[in-house]
Amino acid sequence: MNTRKLWMLLTAAAVLFFFVLPIARLVLLSVQGENGLSLGVYTELLEQKRFWDALWNTAIMVLGSTLLSLLLGTASAWLMAYTDIRWKKAMHLLILLCFILPSYVLTLSWSSFMGVQGPVAQILNVLDPGARPWSVYSMGGIIFVMGIHHFPLVYLFTVNVLKKISRDLEWAAGTGGAGRLKVLFKITLPMALPGITAGGLLVFLASLDNFGIPAFLGTPVNISVLSTLIYEEIIGFGPSAFARGASLSVVLGLIAIVGTLLQWLSVRKSKQGETYLPDEQPRYFLGRHRLWIMPLAWGSLLLMSVVPLLSMILLSLRRSYGGSLSLSNLTLDNYRYILLENASTWRSIQNSFMLSIAALMICLLIGTAIAYFRVRRPSKMNGLAELAISVPYTLPGIVFALSMILTWMEPLPGWNPGIYGTTTLLLIAYVCRFLILQIRSSVTAFSQIDPAVEEAASVSGAGTRRRWQSVLLPLILPGLLGGGLLVFLTALTELTVSALLYSSGSQTIGVTIFGFEQAGSTLYSTALSSLIVFLIFVGAGLLGLTQKMLRRRRGGRLS
Amino acid sequence: MSIEIKGVEKSFGDFRALKSIDLSIRDGEFVAILGPSGCGKTTLLRLLAGFERPTGGEVVIDGKVVASSSNSLPPEKRHIGMVFQNFALWPHMNVTEHVRFPIRNHKQTPPEVRKQEKARIDEVLQLVGLEKLAQRMPHELSGGQKQRVAIARAIAARPALLLMDEPLSSLDAMLRMDMRREIQSVHRTTGTAVVYVTHDQGEALAMADRIVVMKDGEIQQSGTPQDIYLRPQNEFVAQFVSKSNLIPGSWQEDIFVPQGENIAIGWAGLEVAESFRQSGHYPVRPDQLELGQPGPGMLRGVIANVQFQGKEFHYDVRTDRGQWEVISSSSFKLGEEVSIRLPQAERKTNVRYVSQV
Repeated sequence: MNTRKLWMLLTAAAVLFFFVLPIARLVLLSVQGENGLSLGVYTELLEQKRFWDALWNTAIMVLGSTLLSLLLGTASAWLMAYTDIRWKKAMHLLILLCFILPSYVLTLSWSSFMGVQGPVAQILNVLDPGARPWSVYSMGGIIFVMGIHHFPLVYLFTVNVLKKISRDLEWAAGTGGAGRLKVLFKITLPMALPGITAGGLLVFLASLDNFGIPAFLGTPVNISVLSTLIYEEIIGFGPSAFARGASLSVVLGLIAIVGTLLQWLSVRKSKQGETYLPDEQPRYFLGRHRLWIMPLAWGSLLLMSVVPLLSMILLSLRRSYGGSLSLSNLTLDNYRYILLENASTWRSIQNSFMLSIAALMICLLIGTAIAYFRVRRPSKMNGLAELAISVPYTLPGIVFALSMILTWMEPLPGWNPGIYGTTTLLLIAYVCRFLILQIRSSVTAFSQIDPAVEEAASVSGAGTRRRWQSVLLPLILPGLLGGGLLVFLTALTELTVSALLYSSGSQTIGVTIFGFEQAGSTLYSTALSSLIVFLIFVGAGLLGLTQKMLRRRRGGRLS
Repeated sequence: MSIEIKGVEKSFGDFRALKSIDLSIRDGEFVAILGPSGCGKTTLLRLLAGFERPTGGEVVIDGKVVASSSNSLPPEKRHIGMVFQNFALWPHMNVTEHVRFPIRNHKQTPPEVRKQEKARIDEVLQLVGLEKLAQRMPHELSGGQKQRVAIARAIAARPALLLMDEPLSSLDAMLRMDMRREIQSVHRTTGTAVVYVTHDQGEALAMADRIVVMKDGEIQQSGTPQDIYLRPQNEFVAQFVSKSNLIPGSWQEDIFVPQGENIAIGWAGLEVAESFRQSGHYPVRPDQLELGQPGPGMLRGVIANVQFQGKEFHYDVRTDRGQWEVISSSSFKLGEEVSIRLPQAERKTNVRYVSQV
């Protein structure tokens, strides 16, 4: 009993130290005046035009991209859930691709696709010499790229809700005299609304959090949003940079918290109706409409991710940015440069790999242990712990990064571990931020296992170690690997947190691509991005294969 | 192997799941713990297995205290076998691996079993009739076969005690009858003491040497199936186990006179338990009652519902003192007036009838 209490105390202390303290530090700094508490920084903030501009831009960016995501997400969800459109599996993966790609890779794809040297410009040039494609370096571009990056979130939420709406309800309305459109607007959409809202709020949060897209597309044309403004404040290092950054962060954090609460409420509401099993059969047959719907859906999806991606890869193979597109102009020089000739890039690749492998291991271990207690021995205490652990992921990355700087310069009064700017701090930050991802997928894995399965091993004489080795681990491994890969890839391509926390020697892949882009070395940034895309595909492929192999013996089903 | 449960209590927060349970189980005995859901029977089983720790009292196995409020031997050290309600098979192991698992992992597996592992696996699989399916994975088995694997796994290491938690409740009705025989034969062959938890009185009556009836965390009655069925000690046991009607009336020493207008008969009740005498009831099973033409001095009623069951009819008979269930082979119509008699115990008591005329 006493050792258990000791463990609980230690865990509680660790959770407070790693997850709660940083946020407390951040809030404290923003209200610290020269003598005691003061709201001075905030009053100063409210008088600045820069702040109001950034706030306004943030609002437009978030609302615009959320609207676009909602539109694309519900349309694609309806097509996938209700119609007999073909090749649904491939379409599903294609939709997810937009979200799986790191936002800056998608941004680079679009900027090379729509760029002065890109395919669009060349086609336009043939049609009308002198015509220029629309520039993605604009608020419109930010909204567009962000919208297509996030719409899979709305899609995922909505497609499940739609499949669970009972067919009978729609038939009942139909027999009651409602036409197809009326059924859609009076029955289907209102019933799907909780799912759509939950997805929409998630997009809202993701848009607030996003740093890559406004940093790549907005900063060059002087469009600041809250996340890039905080970054500029901290990098600018003015006399009160940290305090101003902290106050901006509190504002951004508060908006995110309100969004999270609303999202949580709407998810709860949408769960109340979950009594039906998903209905996978199509309800509408496209018939002759297939002739235009299929090309439209497939065409737009390919145009959103695959075509820009290809044009980015093509650009990375060019000898020079201005050269024309011909075989003699293609080269692997850019890859040779980033991999072999530029020590700093090679260092960043090493750093990112080491960091993500370490983060993966730690999250796998700690996250799975926490998930086990959450599922098998749920209590108020570990519920609170999970809530605290989810905070760093809920907060916008830039806000979390700043709180890490503030905390780890001097974590406890009089103790300076000297890890500021090192990979150690990056590792701590990654683990704190991504631990919740592993916990959630491990919780899912555990809750699919009947506790009796474990008890059966216990009465069969198996002690704790043998139970895990022979029964639990083989059963949860496929689920754990999925969560692990998510942590690994997110850490590998991370940009926001690293951008604030790195210093020379601890740079990561994301930061390096950002650096190339800021320096105008588009060929190198696209080459490194293409490498990342390649790695993501390899990782996802490996995971798919392993899971298939692990599950084959069990007939593909947990029972 | 003897098991003593002494004054065991278990609370979950404010809820008292078990209130001072005393029970002893002899070597080789088949004990059924019978009760409705929430009566504490599963909690008692999980205490025996070691999944729960008692809040009071102790569990003693072979003179050794294995569980008390201060410590509890974990399940893996108790040398028990257990069959779970939903089979609890391991999806990633085949039938042979299931049976081999306890043989290898139990510290107390008898050496001769451990040495002849292969022979023991074959023997156990043959006992439950799975010798041809040894290489199958759980998802390739039917419900009945899954339960056989679960039983084989539970007995493989020759446990000192076999626990069964409603093992038949996830099977369909036909299969349940077959599995009863299977379990009886396993019990006969192995000679292991069995504690069998169920809410189905048919299963308990059919298989057990002794039945322990529980309600609200307390033992209501413990005895042989015949004892429990024929001589219930209280209203709950009478209604839950033998579906008895509780006929209201008055006791005059060993003679019971049912309430009603102009009743001229009495029922002998030497074996009826004290608690019924105090509450003024007489427990009668539906098959004991007989319906006939109404006559003077007899208990009368009207047929309120009929269900034809093939070899007999199930009647609900409404009287002015309540509604009784009666099973009878003769046919009556809905709304027909009938007499209700208990011929085996009937005595003439003209006293009342005469005095009231």
